[in-house]
Amino acid sequence: MIEATELTKNYGNVTAVNRVSFSVAEGELFGLLGPNGSGKTTMIRMLTGQIPPTSGSARVMGLDAADDPIGVRGLVGIIPEQETPPSFLTAEEYLHFVASIRNLDSIDERCDRWFDLLEFGDKRDVLCKDLSRGTRQKLMFSQAFLHEPKLALIDEPLINLDPIMQRTVKDFLQEYVHNGGTVFFSTHILEIAEEICDRIGIIHNGRLLHSGPIEDLTGSGRHLESFFLDLVRGDTGA
Amino acid sequence: MPDLFLAMMKEEWRIHSTIFGSLGFALFPAVVAFFAFLGSLTLPLFRDALPYAAVALLAQILFLLMGVMVGSFGLMGREFMNRRFGQASLVAYASRSLPVSERRIFAAFLVKDTVYYILLYVLPFAVGFAAATPFISLDPAWGPLAFVSLTLAFLMGLSIVCFLSTLYAHSVRLLTGTVVVLGVLALAALRLGAITVSTVLPPYAFFLDPGPGPLALALLLILVPSAVSVLFVTVEYPDRTKRFNNSLDPLAERLRALGSAHFIAKDALDLLRSEGGAGKVIFSFLLPIGLIWVCLQVLIRFIPGIDPLVVFAVLLGVISATIYNWLTEFDSFTSYAFLPVEVSEVIDSKLKSYALLGLLPVAVLALAATSGGAGAFLPALAAYLSVSAYTLAVTVYLTGLHPNVMLYSAGVFLRYLLAISPALLLLIFASILDPAYAFGSLLLIVPAALLLSRGRTKWQAWEMPGY
Repeated sequence: MIEATELTKNYGNVTAVNRVSFSVAEGELFGLLGPNGSGKTTMIRMLTGQIPPTSGSARVMGLDAADDPIGVRGLVGIIPEQETPPSFLTAEEYLHFVASIRNLDSIDERCDRWFDLLEFGDKRDVLCKDLSRGTRQKLMFSQAFLHEPKLALIDEPLINLDPIMQRTVKDFLQEYVHNGGTVFFSTHILEIAEEICDRIGIIHNGRLLHSGPIEDLTGSGRHLESFFLDLVRGDTGA
Repeated sequence: MPDLFLAMMKEEWRIHSTIFGSLGFALFPAVVAFFAFLGSLTLPLFRDALPYAAVALLAQILFLLMGVMVGSFGLMGREFMNRRFGQASLVAYASRSLPVSERRIFAAFLVKDTVYYILLYVLPFAVGFAAATPFISLDPAWGPLAFVSLTLAFLMGLSIVCFLSTLYAHSVRLLTGTVVVLGVLALAALRLGAITVSTVLPPYAFFLDPGPGPLALALLLILVPSAVSVLFVTVEYPDRTKRFNNSLDPLAERLRALGSAHFIAKDALDLLRSEGGAGKVIFSFLLPIGLIWVCLQVLIRFIPGIDPLVVFAVLLGVISATIYNWLTEFDSFTSYAFLPVEVSEVIDSKLKSYALLGLLPVAVLALAATSGGAGAFLPALAAYLSVSAYTLAVTVYLTGLHPNVMLYSAGVFLRYLLAISPALLLLIFASILDPAYAFGSLLLIVPAALLLSRGRTKWQAWEMPGY
């Protein structure tokens, strides 16, 4: 579903992502882990065609993200790092707005499903600017899955959600992957990755330090946290 | 208070300078001064048609209007906190987290905007004019005098709107009642012959005859409304939950034939639901337009042969292009960057929304025609449509989806003025010869179409660099 080859992104003299290669297969739940500023968001933005790479390439669901960014965004679901629904539309109107952009049918049914699952139907008529950050996160989650994509790319999926809703979302993501969907998400909350990911990548200073199945760690009795810290601190000291 | 003021000044500077560079923004006043200088040099050429007293009146009204527009745009009472600060982490938002009262913040904001816009517009204008006085045989003392009187005119506009917006923030009825009472008093004074240009606009009277009387009256008309605004400021934070039924789909259904219907419907809801709503239209569009119409009625006494309706249509075309600023105020492409949406599609939808809202200026023009000059309605309509389209195209080409910010770049503003001014002046002078020449303005549609086409490509590349 995702094939990144030597992806590099420079911002002036700063290299945000440095020759990163990896792949994510269909039905995988892949977590990209890294400290703040390590290049996770830049990576997602390149994979979804929001910014072009300086060099290297990314193929997402068979499309080159740089050559056909609109095509990629049409196929996948994306939850950006910052929730930015339009201020003066209500939650329901926003989902209808996204549905119109994606030319979806049965919009009410699709919306109701998400209002019910994420338990924010009582906020459907509230303006987005008046929603709490957690509810806005739910709304962004809903818009990303409204068209039932085969691949979802999510930047910090649980960061504004309460523990109950985190459980709901984690369960949904696992079920989604179980049913054939693919998820690529970034986070710096290691417990989430340890709990739900099939495979992880660890990125630091723009370089991919590790990529592999989570089972390799848990099977060898290591905790993700100590593995992560050793890797990142070792890289910092290197 | 000084710390708050300085922090707000730094913040305002950084908001603009980070977008187009410190130099680009710092040169903006130089551009204003340069154009004021050039414009002043041409004054003797038109002295027979346009006496200096008329030019002075025009300048006073221009800066009064600027005060009105700055005030209405930035200080719409509830809009003030909600729009400008509710969605951004600005210093003025500090009363939520720091022990600073809303009144102090509002006062600091008012002082900041005053100083900021005087440095940005009034001072450079006066400097440009003062620099030209030796070349046009005018007393150099008129330079400082222009600065003081134009500052007073600007502050009068600003303080009056602050006062009205504070009333509005408390109650729409209070605002309506006050406007009605003031209107009745003005009518009564008019009947008694007590209203003259000088009494209505004391800064103008001060410019013509500097003395304590007009100065005191001007200061009174600035300080009292400002003080009332600060004392009675009311701030409603955006945590008041607003609920609405789904209006997007029904509205989009009605607009289906236009294409991009949901985008246009969203624009409409943005305008209607943002604080100020219709008040925003009144303060920042209809009020200046009304003042321009009144001003033109005065000017035609000085310039025989001028057709006020055509000139009004030309100015209406320029001002109506600011509707595009409203339409882009609440939108940013970052809201669409993760959806399958092209930048050009967003721009196109804004243009369609603009075309729909353009019916309002047409209605204003028709209304103006009924109060005189109906014979020139068709050339005036042609002038309005072409100038409006051309100014919009220039705005889109130069600023994309960011006119509210980009026009403060010296380079962008200079190009904007150079693109708009010659066409406007030519059109106004041609229409003085014969209003029918205004039909010639339709030629502007060609460069407008070209600019729009290039603007779409240009801003696609800007919003999505590398594509």
